[in-house]
This record gives sequence, C-alpha cells and structure tokens, in this order.
Amino acid sequence: MAYTTFNRNEFDTFKQPMFFGEHVNVARYDQQKHKIFENLIEKQLSFFWRPEEVDLTNDRKDFLDLPDHEKHIFVSNLKYQTLLDSVQGRSPNVAFLPVVSLPELETWIETWSFSETIHSRSYTHIVRNIVPNPATIFDDITRNEHITRRAVSVTHYYDSFIELSNYYQQLGEGTHTVNGQAVEVNMHELKRRLYLTLVSVNVLEAIRFYVSFACSFAFAERAKMEGNAKIIKLIARDEALHLTGTQHMLQIIARGKDDADFAVIAEECKADVVRIFAEAAQQEKEWADYLFKDGSMIGLNKDILCQYVEYITNQRIAALGFDRIFEARSNPLPWINSWLNSDNVQVAPQESEISSYLVGALDSEVDTNDLGDFDL
Amino acid sequence: MSRPYPMSQPPESNHQDLSSSANDSFELDGNIEPDSGTGLPPFELEPPPATSDSSAQQVELYLPERDPEQPEQTPQLELEGMAPPVFAITLDDGHQARFQYAANLLESLEAQQIDVHFQCREGYCGSCRAQLLSGEVHYANDPLAWLNEGEILLCCCIPRSDVKIKL
Ligand code: FES
Ligand SMILES: [Fe+2]
Ligand SMILES: [Fe+2]
Repeated sequence: MAYTTFNRNEFDTFKQPMFFGEHVNVARYDQQKHKIFENLIEKQLSFFWRPEEVDLTNDRKDFLDLPDHEKHIFVSNLKYQTLLDSVQGRSPNVAFLPVVSLPELETWIETWSFSETIHSRSYTHIVRNIVPNPATIFDDITRNEHITRRAVSVTHYYDSFIELSNYYQQLGEGTHTVNGQAVEVNMHELKRRLYLTLVSVNVLEAIRFYVSFACSFAFAERAKMEGNAKIIKLIARDEALHLTGTQHMLQIIARGKDDADFAVIAEECKADVVRIFAEAAQQEKEWADYLFKDGSMIGLNKDILCQYVEYITNQRIAALGFDRIFEARSNPLPWINSWLNSDNVQVAPQESEISSYLVGALDSEVDTNDLGDFDL
Repeated sequence: MSRPYPMSQPPESNHQDLSSSANDSFELDGNIEPDSGTGLPPFELEPPPATSDSSAQQVELYLPERDPEQPEQTPQLELEGMAPPVFAITLDDGHQARFQYAANLLESLEAQQIDVHFQCREGYCGSCRAQLLSGEVHYANDPLAWLNEGEILLCCCIPRSDVKIKL
C-alpha cells in the first residue's frame, strides 16, 4: 500500500491496529487507543537533557592516566554505544513510521528516536573531551571488525523488515519481479519480520545497552570517568523508558489486543524470540572477551560481565512472559542499581553534582531590588 | 570530598546510617505495644536478618538517609486518631516483613534489609516487578511499565491487605 503523508480516508481510530492498518492522518491525541504511548511521550519529554551541560574536564585527566588495557575497555565500550545509538537514532523512524496506524504510537516512535539523537550527540561530547582527534575513535567504528560484527547483529532484523516493507509500499502484496528477481510480499511475512524486529530492538536496548552501562559505571565505581558516568546515567534513564515502550508493543501484539492475526504470528515466533535473546547473550559474551583481552579492571572482568549478561537476559525475557534462559542467579553487579537510578544524585556522596541537567528548573525567586525603578 | 570506594571495600561508617542508628530506631517500629494507640494486637513478626551480602552495601549507600519505615520520617497522610494499619509481607522464600509507614513496598522491604531489584523507583522501568501471590495492592498513579497478570511493581504500590510476594 503506497505511503501517503496525509491519509484522506475517514476511519475509526479505535478500530485501527498499531501497525498495517490505515495510514495516519490528523496528528490528534484526544482519542487514544493505547494511552500508554501518550504517557511514555510525556515522561520522555520530562527527561529532556543536553550533553553539553555535563562537565567532562576531569574525565580527560582520568582518561590519560588509565593503563592501556583500561583505555581499550573504555574506548571500545564507547564505540559500541555509539554504534547502538547511531542505529537507534534512525531505525525506529525508518522502519516503523511508514506502517504505523495510531497517532499516539507514531509520536512515541518519533519522540523515542529523537532522544536517541541526544545520546549520539553526547558521545561526540565525550570523545571531544577525552582525545585530541575524535576521528581516531569514530572512524574505527566502521573499520574495526569486532565492532562491525556487532553492527551486523544489531541491524539484521531492521534491515530485513525495511527491505520487505519497501516492496510492500511500492508494489503491494503479491509476487513481483524486481530486477529479474522474484519477490514475494505477503502480510504474514511482513508482520513476522516486524515482530522479530521489535524483539531485536528490545534486545538492543534492554540487554546490549545494559551490558555497556555496566562497563561505564565500573569506571565510575572507582571514581574514574565520572562525567562520562553522569551522561550514561541520563542515557540509562531514557533507555529504561524505551525498553518499556517496546515491551508494551510486544505484549499488545502477543495478547491479540489489537490485531488477532498478529497474535497468531507472535505465537508462531516464540522459538525465534528465545533464539534471538540467546544469540544476543552469546554475542555479548564474545564482546566481553574482546573488551578484556588485554586484562581485567578492578571490579569488573570477563566472568562477572558474562554473569551479568545472563542475569539481565533472564530479567528481560521473563518480562515478556517467557521462561528464563539461564540458570537463575542474583545480580552479580549489585552496585549497578544505584548508578542506573538517576534520582540518587542528591543523596549519593559524590564529588560533583549533576544538577545542571535540571533544565526545566527555574529560579522563581525575584528580588524586588532587581526591578529597580521599574514601575508596575 | 572524594568518593573512591572500591567495590570490594565496605563503605565508611559515616555513610552507614542504615546499619547503625537507623537500625536501632527501627526496633521502635518492630515492637509496637498493644497500648500504643493502634488498637491492633501486638505484631509478632520480627524483621528478618539481612539477606544482602556485603557486596550489596554500595546500593545501601545511595538509599535515602531516612528510614522509610519510621513514622516521623515518612510523609504519609495523617489518619485521624489512628496509626496507619500494619500489613504483613510474606516472601515466597519464607522471609517476613511488615508494612506500615513506608511510601511503597520497595522502600519498606529495603528498610527491612530485603534486597529488591530497582532502577527508576517510579514505575516506568519494570525492574522491581514481582509476583503477587496473595493479597491486594494499591497504586496512587498508574505505572508505565508493562505488567503481566499477577505482577506488581513494588516501587509504586502499597499493600491493602496482608500480601504474599515472590521476588
Ligand atoms: S524500579 Fe522502575 S518500575 Fe519499579
Ligand atoms: Fe539510546
Ligand atoms: Fe533507546
């Protein structure tokens, strides 16, 4: 079905599914089929922050003093985070917007992606502050085979859905010949790929990112790279909301709450879901191997990080109503909770405060002397 | 002031309010006398010993310095002429706790040294998801996180009856 930027059809929004119904037209939020997405938008907007407000001057000194193997851990982790947010800053828009059917969901997707662009800009802020030439770090993201291997696994489901969805928008359902190749487009396969894409997004934001957060915070636990950790705290707050948004989409689909066919597809995909989670966990463990190839750091090594991968994978798959994949164990990094919580800054005995991110907070006290002879 | 606590080292004593003074005063809360005006029978449950291992001390370091189960420190609505009701919290592993003054179940359990997962502490991340095996809870605001049947978010609900919970 060809995409239109303003659908002229009249239809009942409450009868629309989240995806593959009518194209959206009026961006109106007075009637909402799934109010949760409006609530997520409001929350995300209240989180707004700007990376430049976090001071990183101490991080530069800290970074120079790190031993080489810890520099490798820090920089590789940062490259991985940059890759993940590069993907997340564009892909939800490119993949989901052309097929979305509810205005509140459309706006959630845009708001979600926008917050990812803040994350991306914050990596440039960090890199500029720790090395003289940012290109040495950014250029390596497309060259280093360990990173590019990660890129393949995080983009695979997005790309395969977008490819088929493009054919669908141009040619509709049916068997088509494109450049001499037969292309089969049907709604079942479109929905299957969309569902698996959502699962892989959830894995990206709820597992892969959390593994990277653990590395960032492990430095800060030793009072190193604390400015970086402040930025990562703000990113983690956003990601907690994103993963909740995706869990809602997956669960609304799986429970047939707006599209009965889609629920059947979710049921068929159960084994794929488990496989995607298990593969991601395996890839994260291999990545841990690369991070710690030259040595561990105080408080974090390959084994502990791998245990954390299993722990967080269990948590996330259980949230979707699946059985845990790994043997249940408690959080091997209990200190991470307090770092992940962004509201503990006032009570945390930290050297520097993070109050600068309270962009919306105004000083409402006005000294009448300031008004001078201004007559009201 | 510097904050370089290595993970393996216990926090310095001046940050350990929860384990010293706050714990002493917690005893007040744990021994409600029948004549204390609650009109309730003496409460038998004793807070269990700490379940957290020493590596979790970092987490406690960041918790609010007040003790959420202490009435003076908890900004709950005054109930005219009566203390807030006491509800028993039973965990599936047999641990027992009590809820009376805390702002939510998460704070109450933490004040009684029971480790609970958390991140946002305001209902949007889902980290504190637990199963409600029996009893009823109340949310002041609808939480944002997804909840499956029978699940609750400890960080933003209070019990309305005795509850049995699986963490
Ligand atoms: S701690 Fe985030 S939902 Fe309870
Ligand atoms: Fe992000
Ligand atoms: Fe995200």
